Amino acid sequence: MYKRLWWISLLMVVALALTACPAPAPAAPAAPAPAADATAAPAEEATGPGPEDMDGTLIVGRGGDSVWLDAGPATDGESARVINEIIEPLVRQEGTTAEIVPWLAESWTTEDSQTWTFNLRQGVTFHDGTPFNAEAVKFNMDRWRDPDNEYRFGRTFEYYTYQFGADAGIAEVNVIDEYTIQLVLDAPSSVLLAKLSLGFTFGMNSPAAIMEQGENYGTPAGTAVGTGPFKFVEWIPDDRITVERNDEWWGPRPNLARIIFRSIPDNSARFAELQAGTVHQADLAQTDLAMASDDPAITVYSRPALSTGYIAFQQCTEPFDQLEVRQAIAHAVNWEALIPAFYGEYGELAGSFQPPAIPGHNPNITPYEYNPDKAKELLAAAGLPDGFETDFWYIPVIRGYFPDSKAIGEAIAADLARVGIRVNLMTEDWGAYLEDRNLGKFPMWMLGWGSDNGDPDNYIGYHFRHPVGEPKVEDCYDNPELAQLLIDGAIEADPDARVAIYQRAEEIVKADVARIPVAWATTTTVFRDEVKGYEPVVFRSWYEYIWIDSN
Amino acid sequence: MGQYIIRRLLILVPVLIGVSIVVFGLIRLIPGDPVTVMLGDRARLEDIERVREELGFNRPIYVQYVEWIGRAVQGDMGISIINRTSVMVELRSRLAATMELVLFGLLIGVVVGVSAGVLSALKRNSWVDVTVTFGALVGVSMPIYWLALIAIYALAVNRQIFPPSSRIDATFMVDRATGFMLIDTLLMGNWRYFTNALWHLLLPATVLSTTVMPILARLTRASMLEVMRQDYVRTAEAKGLAARTVVIRHALKNALLPIVTVIGLQLGGLLGGALLTETIFSWPGMGLWTYRAIQSRDYPIVQAVVLVSASIYVFVNLLVDISYAYLDPRIRFQGG
Repeated sequence: MYKRLWWISLLMVVALALTACPAPAPAAPAAPAPAADATAAPAEEATGPGPEDMDGTLIVGRGGDSVWLDAGPATDGESARVINEIIEPLVRQEGTTAEIVPWLAESWTTEDSQTWTFNLRQGVTFHDGTPFNAEAVKFNMDRWRDPDNEYRFGRTFEYYTYQFGADAGIAEVNVIDEYTIQLVLDAPSSVLLAKLSLGFTFGMNSPAAIMEQGENYGTPAGTAVGTGPFKFVEWIPDDRITVERNDEWWGPRPNLARIIFRSIPDNSARFAELQAGTVHQADLAQTDLAMASDDPAITVYSRPALSTGYIAFQQCTEPFDQLEVRQAIAHAVNWEALIPAFYGEYGELAGSFQPPAIPGHNPNITPYEYNPDKAKELLAAAGLPDGFETDFWYIPVIRGYFPDSKAIGEAIAADLARVGIRVNLMTEDWGAYLEDRNLGKFPMWMLGWGSDNGDPDNYIGYHFRHPVGEPKVEDCYDNPELAQLLIDGAIEADPDARVAIYQRAEEIVKADVARIPVAWATTTTVFRDEVKGYEPVVFRSWYEYIWIDSN
Repeated sequence: MGQYIIRRLLILVPVLIGVSIVVFGLIRLIPGDPVTVMLGDRARLEDIERVREELGFNRPIYVQYVEWIGRAVQGDMGISIINRTSVMVELRSRLAATMELVLFGLLIGVVVGVSAGVLSALKRNSWVDVTVTFGALVGVSMPIYWLALIAIYALAVNRQIFPPSSRIDATFMVDRATGFMLIDTLLMGNWRYFTNALWHLLLPATVLSTTVMPILARLTRASMLEVMRQDYVRTAEAKGLAARTVVIRHALKNALLPIVTVIGLQLGGLLGGALLTETIFSWPGMGLWTYRAIQSRDYPIVQAVVLVSASIYVFVNLLVDISYAYLDPRIRFQGG
């Protein structure tokens, strides 16, 4: 009987001892790396980091965990950002534009945009020692394109379908010699390089690693093996992924010894970690950005906008089938006032559908003028002098392009009410929202788009390119000239001619009020000030160039 | 006794079948399906339809249920829809992380709650009693996610006493033998890692403990007051036993019966509180996993977690019932 009491008193003693435990200081995030690394050669050029800064550990705080570290099945941003450090594609986009640069392929040629020959970089090996060559490229490409490939392990390769599937798939992959590979497409495409630049899905995994690890490859139970500047070390689901410097990388030696991607789902907690200095970089909610800018130890970097928030219409539904009605809506709302109210410094009033970083952006297109009287005239011309009533759907999630969708929807609704358009603001669960949008159930809705690969075919083309006369279900918008232009744009080889095509397409979208672009949202990257060497480039993390100031 | 336990274990079967049907149906009632969430904004109708077909979601729901439950009883909880990994493998490490948090939170809650209750009963109507009562009221009315955020800001950001989140410093590599960070770091023989893990555990566990602490304090107080009035306590006092002996050996032990019952019942609350605590403290356990799985409609994960949590809950309450016989020799269970 007394045993139980002893047990309870023991618990109390233990608890007391625990609470009296001295507080170990939180370990500094930049733990020094093994001495072996310190003796390695310092950076060639004097860009800033001293030898003592060359072995930092960067800790990144993000909202969620990666789904895959397997280039191919990955579709989400959190998978992409880790894969991009480990696994590399044939070509990449570098800098502040969407320009393509050689990466694992050193050069390429094509006569007709249908047959492409790539010369591969020589002397590159995967992290597991497997040589990188044309066979390895073929192995990866066969895995993307063949649904019956034995190395797919039941995973879906959705990005291949999005990017290639519909029209210009990879029909043949031919190994010409050890370092030359030839691709034959189903149809000519001038977008191939932009597509292949998506490293997280068209990156080169080590064939040997996939064959050895089977279905564990690219999951927490296995590893990820590429040729990139960082090597996979460890993945604890929902906690962290660790990568370390690849000293054999073919590019310049990265300054960081390690990167730890931590998963911190709660926005406030993530911001708290950044303030406490337990992470160096954090993805912040729009609402925390202003406070972060005020913190003297934190810098908020703005990157060129790559996304557009827009209003769309179901044009087979009355009254949105009438151009005047869409125009009336465009002129009834004070779009300019939405920017300072809801976006602050992180959004810009959109003129054309595509933001300036996308080739084919049309700088001559201006936002719709705010003119309620004109809106009323247009409604009267459409036979609706007393206005009308409609459902207006806003997204149930926070996105950079609509940081507060409900409040923005309410502001738009208030302006519309002044010209007699009575809207019922509606929303539903995100999955259902996307599905109902796809099914064309919304008469008028808010949504946005962020570029995948920087190509206009993936921007304005994604929304409006379809076979002539076969409009999409979602908006039922059919302009044969636009459809044909966008089909041509995806094939046109001359870059200048392409820009002209997409600029013309922008004019049509504006004239037809096919979408009302509301804002281009700036992407932000937030670092603590001890992180140096960051450049706010369009697509990349720049991790191999940054370092942590050890002072 | 043996028969009683067997009968109680058998009752588990219909309970779990019921739970499994409810969770299987409920999760599917949430609008939106995993395929739309998985494929995201980019998906076209034909892609969604194709993947839905591949994953077998187009079959009648009872066929899907029978297939799932058939495998579940053999210990196969299926694979995650989102990343095609085994739910069972993942469940083991998640369960360990959650149990570490919940058990530690329970420990703090019981130790502090029961002690506060005893003190409060002994010093009835004193400032101690008022303080405990007031503290319990505050504790029971405070939403746990709010408390967690305040704790992080006050104790991890403004005063950097505790780390803000996670189970151990991100730069430490731990061999995960058991999944319990405290045990794994001890097995490694690394004292620095152990104290670091303990320090990471303390804040979330304390926050979580507030789900049980106030109730236990109030209950212990009431139960103690009642017992202290009993004849045998007066007898013990009259025969000259030390006050401490009277309180611990005679009063507290007899006051424990309702407290133990409530601890068992509160386990459900703790597991629920763990969901919020884990989300805010980035604790990679079952709660955080479930939260994500619900967001992405990863049905097999949600089903597995609910089934396992329900089993734990029912099982712990069985233990509580059995412990009655030990705590109170007058209670004997009738077999059959």
